[in-house]
Amino acid sequence: MFQVTPDPRTDSANPPPPPRRGGGRRDTTIARHAVLIAVGLLVVAPLVWLILAMFRAPRTLFSESLPFKPHLANLAHALSELPWSQLLLHTVTMAIGVSLGQLLSGLLAAYAFSCWQFRGQRLLMLVVIGTWLVPFQVTILPNYVLLSKLGLLNSVAGVIVPQLSSTFAVLLLRQHLKNFPSELIEAARIDGLSSWSILWRVVVPNLGPSLAALEILLFIGAWNEYLWPLIVYRSPDSVLQVGISHLLSVTDPDYGALLAAAGLATLPLLVLYLILQRRIVDAFVRSGLR
Amino acid sequence: MARIRLHHITKAYGDTVALDDISLDVAHGELLVLLGPSGCGKSTLLRVMAGLIHPDRGGVEVDGRDVTTLPPRQRNTAMVFQSYALYPHLSVRRNLGFGLRAHRRPRTEIEEKVADVAARLGLDRLLDRRPRELSGGQRQRVALGRAMVRDPAVFLMDEPLSNLDAQLRTATRMELAALHRSLDATFVYVTHDQVEAMTLGTRIAVLDGGRLQQVGTPAQIYDEPANVFVARFLGAPPMNLLPAVASSRDRRVLLEGAALSAVLWEGEVAERAVTVGVRPERLRIGGAGAAGARFRSRVVAVENLGNDEVAICQAAEERICVRGPRPLGLRAGENVELVASVDDLRLFDPASGRRMVWVPDACDNHKLPAGTVHDVR
Repeated sequence: MFQVTPDPRTDSANPPPPPRRGGGRRDTTIARHAVLIAVGLLVVAPLVWLILAMFRAPRTLFSESLPFKPHLANLAHALSELPWSQLLLHTVTMAIGVSLGQLLSGLLAAYAFSCWQFRGQRLLMLVVIGTWLVPFQVTILPNYVLLSKLGLLNSVAGVIVPQLSSTFAVLLLRQHLKNFPSELIEAARIDGLSSWSILWRVVVPNLGPSLAALEILLFIGAWNEYLWPLIVYRSPDSVLQVGISHLLSVTDPDYGALLAAAGLATLPLLVLYLILQRRIVDAFVRSGLR
Repeated sequence: MARIRLHHITKAYGDTVALDDISLDVAHGELLVLLGPSGCGKSTLLRVMAGLIHPDRGGVEVDGRDVTTLPPRQRNTAMVFQSYALYPHLSVRRNLGFGLRAHRRPRTEIEEKVADVAARLGLDRLLDRRPRELSGGQRQRVALGRAMVRDPAVFLMDEPLSNLDAQLRTATRMELAALHRSLDATFVYVTHDQVEAMTLGTRIAVLDGGRLQQVGTPAQIYDEPANVFVARFLGAPPMNLLPAVASSRDRRVLLEGAALSAVLWEGEVAERAVTVGVRPERLRIGGAGAAGARFRSRVVAVENLGNDEVAICQAAEERICVRGPRPLGLRAGENVELVASVDDLRLFDPASGRRMVWVPDACDNHKLPAGTVHDVR
């Protein structure tokens, strides 16, 4: 007599599913969420305060408590007092120039440091890292004198030129390129590309998310730059952060209008973020800049 | 097709010597396998041939032309990488044509060659896909196709099958062998997998610690290992190696060890230590009066390999394995006497590890000279 062998999939020899974990995990999750919510509130609080301040009545920032009747006077004052179109044009030009310049110089330096070997490489890398340790204040005077000699004072170019390289960009991209598959570069060399072509045809197209994330960081940094433009381009139609400061006078500071202008100055970045939200988050997740 | 000649290649990284004075000839149309464990220098040697690494000393010649200082693009070589190294941002079509575009070939020629190679490798329907949309086997084909499109004189392959599953690896291995037969090109193939080496290679070069251990046909490497490293590296399980003493009595050379005894051939030899090697599949379960070398052992475990069984035995201080068709008829705990034909024994010099051969002329001197070892080159 024939007998069909048992189906191993329903065989009782198969191990039972692992038991579910106990309630300890739930407590940990609640604690973690509580910490995250607290940190989140800390981060959001200044922004909420800024937005609320924009809509308060003039000169009631420290006197009126919540709730209050929304007012547009601060906004109107800020809008009318400042040459917004000039400020925006200069700031956008400066932020794009600085961030793209830093990205490009950082990319070229990082590519040389991570993908190629040359004499004195370590020493040069140490020098680059060393420049990060030099305080900004130390470089103010020499840079100012240089710009003066070049005739670039009181111009957007004067704000951009001394900031065209960034050690942070070099180090971050070097780290990304160290993780870049060396076999891709070797394959491109065997396929016949020069080192310059490898950078633009193989490395850059595959470094997109990291470059995008870094460009966003550099752009925000340049947008918010205050001290250097204040030194070399001190005029009411300079860049946004300097222009806003003109609302402050020593004898009669109008904090309401100042905060309204600061709020307005963040709007372009906010709009940019809303448009690119998915890409930005994706870029940060992929590049490890979380 | 091309002939490659490496002479005295040496490469060091700080105090670590990656390649130590390697000289090697690869003939026209040959498929030479560089075989060795991880870190033995086989991939470094391949990269020296490709021009990706410059040696500290020595030179590379292709068809008599010194290419040591030439960049990779001027060597007419193509390489298939372990990770395939496909350009993630390009479609299969553009990956295949990348090398030709880099060499500024006319567009029509690129399209024709890409279509031809895609048809040969069955990639026609995948031409518009990106590498991430392909399976491991398909990626491997694209990598191979990218090398083929350029119609190089030399194909350099760096463990191209190691990322494939066992079934696909066997199928692709056979395809690679067929491809080598059909293409008029020289292949240098790096692997640590002895099955790939034995089945694909027309010759095998075994490396260890940056040094060339032996070069020969697969049969030579397996049957006549130049030293104990090669004997241990090839074979599953590897060759059994046991210490013994060679001496002579009544004009016969004898071997005596803690768990072995053998009567070899006629001759006289001064007493000396040797290492005796025998392949597991060459051992038989002895019976009364069986002739040849005898190994007294106790079975420790029996492993079932499906078609074969491997019995792991303890012979004095050494472990030895015997392999044969299932069932072997051995059980753990049982005492067993294993027998091997004298022809299947290999003797090694314990000091240098190199294989020794009996030189008939030496009979006149009544000695088994330590210097009569195989030339591994």
